[in-house]
Amino acid sequence: MKKSIGDNMIPKEWGFERGLDLVKKAGFDGIELWLGDVAWFQMTTTDAEVRDLRRKVESAGLVVSNVSTGLHWASPLSARDPRVRAQATRIVERQIETARLLGTDAILVVAGLVTDEVPYNEVYQRCLDTLRPLGDTAARAGVKIGCENCNAEQRFLISPREFWQFLNDVNSPAVGIHLDVGNIHDTGFAEQWIEIHGPRITRIHLKDVLKHRGRCGDQSVYTNLFLGDNNWPAIRAALTKVGYDGWLIAEMEARYRYAPDQQFYDTAQAMDRLISGRL
Amino acid sequence: MTRRQFLATTAAAVSAGNRLRGRSPCVLLDLQRGCLRESVAGYTAVFQPRVVRAHMPGIPHCAVVLVPAALEISPVAARAIVRCLHAGATVILESAAGFLDQRAFGTERAVLRDYFGITVEPPVRLWPRQTPYVDYLWPYAAKLRDFSRVLPLGPPAGEPIAWVDNLPVALKRRSGRGTLIFLGSPVGPALWAGDAEATRWLSAVLATVS
Repeated sequence: MKKSIGDNMIPKEWGFERGLDLVKKAGFDGIELWLGDVAWFQMTTTDAEVRDLRRKVESAGLVVSNVSTGLHWASPLSARDPRVRAQATRIVERQIETARLLGTDAILVVAGLVTDEVPYNEVYQRCLDTLRPLGDTAARAGVKIGCENCNAEQRFLISPREFWQFLNDVNSPAVGIHLDVGNIHDTGFAEQWIEIHGPRITRIHLKDVLKHRGRCGDQSVYTNLFLGDNNWPAIRAALTKVGYDGWLIAEMEARYRYAPDQQFYDTAQAMDRLISGRL
Repeated sequence: MTRRQFLATTAAAVSAGNRLRGRSPCVLLDLQRGCLRESVAGYTAVFQPRVVRAHMPGIPHCAVVLVPAALEISPVAARAIVRCLHAGATVILESAAGFLDQRAFGTERAVLRDYFGITVEPPVRLWPRQTPYVDYLWPYAAKLRDFSRVLPLGPPAGEPIAWVDNLPVALKRRSGRGTLIFLGSPVGPALWAGDAEATRWLSAVLATVS
């Protein structure tokens, strides 16, 4: 397995190239690029500029592990407004295009958003309708769409079997799950999600979760690896059981108040330990 | 709803469903890019109507014409709908003009006024709100999911049949020899999403067509 971390973790004042140096020095193999979340990678970034990003990544001795985005929180694929939905679709298409330019074969998509305004059944149906053609587009490009399990935030596809049925209904070999082991909270166990989805896992996000905080307070439920409630030995064993040998991507929320680069070193070391199984 | 009303409505809905499936007296006018596709999908899945495209010169003779989630009704389509009304059809005209920009809404508003005599106010965004329903009073009292935006009706040119937050958003009235049922809050997407109450309510509406 290889280690990656999101470019949205790079301290804002550092810039992309200095951040890449840090990622490399900390011991990562790759970097996850977040479309729309960082100054250097926006929807308006041209193809030539994207190629330049790739050149910088490779010059730093890294590769791009995948293309993610947080843009679908504001423009969900499940929006009722057809113009918003068209924009959401365009975001996925741009992710696919840039994945090819960046030399990676996976993107992360937040598939749908259940709200008090847009109910579950609509979101489910609308996500199927938008993801099926996008699956065809992704397949032609040789890219896999990984729908992330954002259980609590999305209020959608809460259980692993429900997610499994959703992927069956999408019925595209180019659409799988980008599994976040920190997002499951009290709705289940990450190791069971890994077992159920096995070969459909496109990438894995790593973070730990403090289940006792729940989602009701104003404190983050997320924390650094091994500081929370995830059962890491079980997660590691499940990865072995299903034969997952792809990217592990750190998605840390907590940032160090001082010496922000220390988080990169600490996270890389923790990931090394997880990969080696010394738990 | 009382037990008696429930049984009457259910029987009517089943009967209407059988009639529709058997003789296909129901035609769906597909405005293609001029409508919300999921509404077309909803009506098609539930009522299995004969589908005709908006660019066709005429709509076949039928008892019921469904016009799902219209965003833009061309003059050709509007005239075809009016001919159906004059011929005695019941037309369910559903508008999704709440999703248009201001300029396009102005155009659509003029079409509704000039061809159908319906005055609509500018769209209202319903959310955030406390309850997600539109209250229908005819043919029976029902709560159907709102679709985020509604077209409130202006001075009544018919009998209001649905309300949301004290705004009338649907009406029915005689038009020519036929009946026009105007929905300022799309129901088709709820059909498409499998909303059983939406299916029951529309079946009951169709059951009123003699």
